[in-house]
Amino acid sequence: METALTPALGAAAQKIAANEFDAIVRNHQRRVHRFLFMMLRDPDEADNLTQECFLRAYQNLATFRGESSLETWLLRIAANLVRDQARNRKAGFWKRLLGLEDRDGEAGERWAAPEASPEQVLLAREDVKAVREIADRLSQQQRAVFMLRFVEEMELNEIAAVLGLQVGSVKTHLFRAVQTVREKLRDLR
Amino acid sequence: MNPNEDPHASLVEQALASFDLAAEHHLANCPACERERERVQEVLREFGAANRQRASRPEHFWEQQAARIRAARSESGRRSGLGLTLTPGLAALLLLALAVLGRGPAPSSTSVRTATAQADADQQLFVRVERAVESNTPLALEPVTLKVEEDDGSVPLKATTEKREPRSHEN
Repeated sequence: METALTPALGAAAQKIAANEFDAIVRNHQRRVHRFLFMMLRDPDEADNLTQECFLRAYQNLATFRGESSLETWLLRIAANLVRDQARNRKAGFWKRLLGLEDRDGEAGERWAAPEASPEQVLLAREDVKAVREIADRLSQQQRAVFMLRFVEEMELNEIAAVLGLQVGSVKTHLFRAVQTVREKLRDLR
Repeated sequence: MNPNEDPHASLVEQALASFDLAAEHHLANCPACERERERVQEVLREFGAANRQRASRPEHFWEQQAARIRAARSESGRRSGLGLTLTPGLAALLLLALAVLGRGPAPSSTSVRTATAQADADQQLFVRVERAVESNTPLALEPVTLKVEEDDGSVPLKATTEKREPRSHEN
């Protein structure tokens, strides 16, 4: 998403005023946080990495050449942070062992239309739960592609830019992820 | 339709993953596959909506987060500013330390004592050479006499009990 600030972020980006950067944070923090939350499934880690993402962006503004949108650039930083985070799996292991993962829980989730019947709500919930379980088991790269496509509703070329992949690779990841999801849904019926 | 026997399954997935002309052509002529695409697409839409809802936070959360980012940014700027201020001072101190170290270590009291003793021994040898010159020893044998006396200790060098170092003027 282009913002009014984007053209100003060229070679002189490092001179950006503090209040301008605050506006960047306000405009993009929700999407960056959501992507990190989807990838990490831990609200605290997502919060910390969102902060880290914007700090890195601020420190590296001079390197932003405006070849992609500012949001794509921010999401790319976030994707790199997720990759770095994945290198340290010990914390994740202990969290899983202690049952601390996914603290956000499912309480309060309402994903079926309000006018849906209880049976439809239940079916929709089962389907969404199944898709989430599948998504959790996908490789990090596939999950990122899958989430960016179906949660962020990004175009394939945008996903490729965020993850530093070829569009063809994005298509392949997406095809495999959809295939796995469909097989799981087939088993549910 | 039994999906396990569906020969067109990959076309449905193809159509769901990205736009594919062959897949779209097939789906346009196959109601069963089109229904299956719509069904999975609906589930994926619900999945997306559920995740967006799940990741939503109240407005004050975003305000607090923005404030934390602002504070972290200020702290980062302050640190880098402090670094820029300190760097020239630290560099000057380092250069000074290197200059001092480059002169070599200060002479120790032991090395001073050794040098003094060496000077005394030289002085005594000089005196002995003078005496030998004044003695009746044949001129050609004087150096040998001196050497023998020194090696035997027959003429004790009172101040040179330690082994003498080779002297520069002997070389």
